[in-house]
Amino acid sequence: MQAGEETTKQPRRAFLAGGIKAIAALFGLGLGVPLALFSFSPARQKDRPEEWIPIADFASLNDHRPTKVTYAYTRQDGWMKTETRRMAFILKKDDGGITVLSNRCTHLGCGVDWDATANQFKCPCHGGIFDLEGKILEGPPPKSLARFTAKVEDGRVFIREGQA
Amino acid sequence: MSKIWLFIDRRLNLSPLLREMADHRIPDHANPLKKASAFMYCFGGISFLILLLQLLTGMFLMLYYVPSPDHAYASVSYIKNEVAFGALTQNLHRVGASAAVVMVFLHMLRVYFTKSYKNPRELNWIAGVLLLLVVLGFGFTGYLLPWDQKAYWATTVGVNIIETVPWLGGFIADMLRGGDEVGALTLTRFFVIHVMFLPALLLCLLAAHFFMVRRQGISHPL
Repeated sequence: MQAGEETTKQPRRAFLAGGIKAIAALFGLGLGVPLALFSFSPARQKDRPEEWIPIADFASLNDHRPTKVTYAYTRQDGWMKTETRRMAFILKKDDGGITVLSNRCTHLGCGVDWDATANQFKCPCHGGIFDLEGKILEGPPPKSLARFTAKVEDGRVFIREGQA
Repeated sequence: MSKIWLFIDRRLNLSPLLREMADHRIPDHANPLKKASAFMYCFGGISFLILLLQLLTGMFLMLYYVPSPDHAYASVSYIKNEVAFGALTQNLHRVGASAAVVMVFLHMLRVYFTKSYKNPRELNWIAGVLLLLVVLGFGFTGYLLPWDQKAYWATTVGVNIIETVPWLGGFIADMLRGGDEVGALTLTRFFVIHVMFLPALLLCLLAAHFFMVRRQGISHPL
């Protein structure tokens, strides 16, 4: 490249070329960094409002088998507030505590269901099988069913949106 | 980096083209280093720089903006309040719009007072006037998009002004609004005009404008 040869011979020209590059870099970074962060922003926001969502009355829970509950809550979806319905399984523990399992299969996100005769959670899509505690027994799912952070207060069961 | 460039250049022989584009003499009367008042010859370039900035920030704003009456206002306030650097990006675009109009107008004044529009550059003057109209069109259509009270009533008034054009006014106004009232159809129309039709027109006109100025050279004052 001829221009390259000239810049090595002529220091002033090289200085000016360097200056132009520096200014271009300044503009590029000054715009590029904020715009990149602008684009990634929602994906990076992990600090969702930590609200307790009521999902069931404690008294209505089954003994020794999971209770399937459907609950609705207002979800902040970007600039939109949407009324979302979700399902979960609540399991009473012997010590009086509870375990709340997500019904989303960890394989590809289908809804698992409780098979009372087999005493297992079964996924209708690809045959994933989980035990009463949500632990993976068989099939393609890579890990156990997700557990929600849950608490019982005033006879009601609450969970947090983020899964524990 | 230079290896990649060499690889491409050996095959496509681009450097003569680049040299032709980048290496051109700036006449002394247009060189701010030679004559301070020549800074006026930078107005066109500054206008172009601002338009590039508008293109860039506009592209990024479209990541979040939704042109629907239900969601436009909410999505803009989401950009301004929730998204990182959202207020900066939105304000760059908003202030940049005003700056673009100001710089284009100053550029036009410079061309006018140096009589640069005269023979043989009449065609480039016409391209420039069309570019001014496109920039004003950007401003007019963009103003509606935040869908707040100011946007709504500014557009209502603006289109009503267009309606007073003899003979054709009613037709043009209805076409712009997509009906006889500013509403959902107006918003999507203005949005698409703002982000598709006008940018296409702008780029074509800019290409013509730049081609002509390079072909004919920078004018000497008469």
